[in-house]
Amino acid sequence: MVLTGAVRMSVTRHSRRRLLGAAAGLAAAGLSGCGILDDDPEPPEAPDPLQPLLDEAMALAASYDRAILSQPGLAARLTPLADDHRAHAAELARVIGRTPPSTGTGAVASEPAGAAAATIASLRTAEQAGQKSATAACQAAPPERAALVGSIAACRATHAEALR
Amino acid sequence: MNPQLGAALAAEEAAIYAYGVIGVRLNSRGDETEARAAEQAHRGRRDYLVARLSQLKASSAPSPAGYELPFPVTDRASALKLAIRVEDGVTQSWRPVLAVTTGNDRGTALAAMTEAAVRATRWRRLAAVTPATLAFPGRPE
Repeated sequence: MVLTGAVRMSVTRHSRRRLLGAAAGLAAAGLSGCGILDDDPEPPEAPDPLQPLLDEAMALAASYDRAILSQPGLAARLTPLADDHRAHAAELARVIGRTPPSTGTGAVASEPAGAAAATIASLRTAEQAGQKSATAACQAAPPERAALVGSIAACRATHAEALR
Repeated sequence: MNPQLGAALAAEEAAIYAYGVIGVRLNSRGDETEARAAEQAHRGRRDYLVARLSQLKASSAPSPAGYELPFPVTDRASALKLAIRVEDGVTQSWRPVLAVTTGNDRGTALAAMTEAAVRATRWRRLAAVTPATLAFPGRPE
C-alpha cells in the first residue's frame, strides 16, 4: 500500500515537472527570438531524462529499508539488493552531474509489519515495474548512457529473480 | 556495430560449448532442466547473431574447434561455477552492443543481456553463492 502510494506520487511529480520544463523551454525560445527580455533570468533547467530513474532507484532502496525495519529477519537477504539500488543512484547522479542523493535511512516511514512472504512479493512487483521503466529508459538513452542504463535494467530483473 | 555483434557471437558460441561440459556434471533434474533451457536460449541468440551479421554483410570469425576451460569441471560445484562464469561473460559481451545500436537491435541486445544476467543469478542461487546479484551486470570488473 505504502509503496504504491509513493510510486504514484513520484510519477505525477515528474510528469508535472517535465511539462513545466517543456513550457519554460518554449517560452524562452519564443522570447529570445524577439530580442527583448534578454536580461531575464535563465528559465529553470529541464530535468535530466535520467532523473526519474534516479528517483526510482532511491524509492526502491527506501522500500527495502522499510521492509528490513519491519522484518529484521529479512535483512541478510534484502540488504545487498538495497545496496545495488544505492549504487545505481550514485552512478546516475554522477552521470547527470548532481550531488549524489543522501543515502541515509533516517527518514523512512515505519511500515506495519506484514508477513515476510507478502513483503517479498511486493518488493518483487516493484522490481518488475522498475525493470520495465529502466528498459524503456535504455531504449531512449543516447549511446554513451545506454550501457549503464541497460545494466540497471538487468540488475532489477535479477532482483526480481532473487525474490522468487 | 559489427565488432560488438561479433564479440557477442563468440560469447554465445563459447556458452553453447560450455553447457555441453556442464550438463555432464549435473545430477539433479532441476539443474539439468535449467542447463538445457539455458543452452537452448544461447543457441537462439547465436542464430540471431549469425543471421544479423550476414544481413550486415559482415564476416564473423569461425568458431574455434575447442575451448580451454578456465578450471577443471569435475563435479556439480565446478559445473555451477562454470555456468555462473559463462552467463556473466555473455552478459558482458552484449553490453557494448547497446551503445552501438538503436531500436529493435538495442532491444534484442538488452533482452539477451538481461536474460543472461538472470540466469547467472539463478545459478548463483543453486550454488548458494551470496549475494546472488551484481549491481551492474555486464560491466567489466
